[in-house]
Amino acid sequence: MSCNTEKKVKKSMWFVLLLIVIGGILGLLTSFGVAVGVHQTSGEKFCTMCHTMQPMADAYRADVHGGNNSKGLKAECTDCHLPHDGLAKYLFAKAQTGLHDIRVENFGDPKSIDWEAKRKHAKHFVYDSGCMSCHVNLREATTANPKSFIAHKEYFEKRTDKKCVECHKNVGHHILGDYINR
Amino acid sequence: MLKRLLIILVVIASGSFAASVGDVSSVKTLKVERGLTEAGKSCIECHAKLTPGHVNDWKSSRHGHVGVSCIDCHSVKKDNPMAGQNCDGVKGTDIYVSVLVSPKTCERCHPNEVHEFQQSGHARAALQIRSKDSMQALMHKFEGRNHPDLKDSPNATGCMQCHGSIIELDKSGRPTAETWPNYGIGNVYPDGGVGNCKSCHSGHKFSIEEARKPAACASCHLGPDHPDIEIYNNSMHGHIFNAEGSTWKYDSAPDAWEPGDYRAPTCATCHMSGIGNLKTTHNVSRRLKWNIWAPISKTREGGYETAVKDFENGKITKGNPLAGHPEGSKAARGEMEQVCKSCHLATHTKNFFKMADKHVELYNTYATDAKKMIDELGKKGLMKKDKWADEAFKTWYHIWHHQGRRMRQGALMGGPDYAHWHGVFELQQDIRVLETIYNRRIKTGKIEE
Repeated sequence: MSCNTEKKVKKSMWFVLLLIVIGGILGLLTSFGVAVGVHQTSGEKFCTMCHTMQPMADAYRADVHGGNNSKGLKAECTDCHLPHDGLAKYLFAKAQTGLHDIRVENFGDPKSIDWEAKRKHAKHFVYDSGCMSCHVNLREATTANPKSFIAHKEYFEKRTDKKCVECHKNVGHHILGDYINR
Repeated sequence: MLKRLLIILVVIASGSFAASVGDVSSVKTLKVERGLTEAGKSCIECHAKLTPGHVNDWKSSRHGHVGVSCIDCHSVKKDNPMAGQNCDGVKGTDIYVSVLVSPKTCERCHPNEVHEFQQSGHARAALQIRSKDSMQALMHKFEGRNHPDLKDSPNATGCMQCHGSIIELDKSGRPTAETWPNYGIGNVYPDGGVGNCKSCHSGHKFSIEEARKPAACASCHLGPDHPDIEIYNNSMHGHIFNAEGSTWKYDSAPDAWEPGDYRAPTCATCHMSGIGNLKTTHNVSRRLKWNIWAPISKTREGGYETAVKDFENGKITKGNPLAGHPEGSKAARGEMEQVCKSCHLATHTKNFFKMADKHVELYNTYATDAKKMIDELGKKGLMKKDKWADEAFKTWYHIWHHQGRRMRQGALMGGPDYAHWHGVFELQQDIRVLETIYNRRIKTGKIEE
């Protein structure tokens, strides 16, 4: 092997290494950006950029889940309204619902939406996997709290196909009906 | 001195009399701490004085044992159509309550019971009578005489007490007298809930023991058109129950109530209980082979009841009269035979059902002939405009709705007096009456005066 070719190989090795490093940095920066972006677009502030969402946000702020509790803890909109059983699923649903909302808000007729009718099938846009990623201890409820034990037994034993919001109807938005009908 | 003593005695006597009279409940003041919130406690403490009957029931209920109290079932969110603050205890607070408790509340802890119930014929009880113009006309026009003020009493005092009603609210959110109170099984609540657990598990005890006894069914399944409690009493099952049922055990756990706890089945044993390998069900239609209330009996091949689904889609319908076992009438009979198996040999069961089925088919021959005559008279304009004044129509109505049901139900539930004397015997008389009217009208081309 000549000295020249050896030099060439060395050079291209360095080049590949540089590419990997730059790629890695770019990748990190992108994922950082995506993470920040996903986070920034998860809460009340972003969601109310569509004015249609104002009554939902107002009812949410009055609710335990919206920070109206002694600890001031909050669940973000997407904590309940996106699936939490897989990152790909989460991101796909986020993109899909996000694009849908942008389309309806700008090119549709958001005023004609019958929100009371939509509430009746809330189970399709409030995800149990979301609820369960915070309420992890519910599964462990014992007879020390017979009410929560008995009420959730059929659910955890998978003997019912009821979803969380089919029983906890107003959860997340305190007296939502009042705000929708204003 | 004597006079003074006498007065003192009278005062003491009347005092103790007043203390014992009016003591309708052992709960006058009740302090409960265990497992209840502050608001929950205050309901109980106040209602122990106001409505001691309610609290007395509750304290001996299973709900009481696990800490489910008034507020857990009666409180509703402010935007619930039934929400009100008509109780002084909650006025001005952020607690809203309703006197109505819908199955939508019960299903939060008992999802499968409500789900199965809604797959059964029971679920259509109120919706179907609202959907049928003929039933509405019977209640309001014929019985209620279209009276501007009085036409609703036949439904309120009669029909809806078993069938239930579509409950309506007045301006203050209280249920109207025309639609409530009732113990009807198919109630439709303003929040969209359909059904009534209290029909069988009366409030505020909601007892499993009670619902397992024939009395729970008997308050509706009686009388000329479906004398089911009379048929039961006439049967050997009822004979044994009436002789010694008061000593049996009714509080075994669900799915574990088996022969030994009782010596003969009650209504619940055959139609609902998890006896042997069978699973407990709240779908009372599931183990039925036949529809034995319709004018012509057909086997139940319709799957599940549909009235609740229709209602949720905005339609009030008569539902699915052939609702039964999801896999059809053969599977239904198979399950019923499994019930019998715990106490009877296969030959006993097969022979019993073979002859009972024949009695249903025999009924169908009567009904088909009678219906043919009625239809022909109708086509030829030989029926009176007011059908309730027409002897032919009335005879046909009694054939299928009264004696015909007795004949079929008596046969399938082992009540010989109803299968025979109150059933097929009356039918052979009726069909002759109908034939006479039919022949006369066809011959003369006129309706008799």
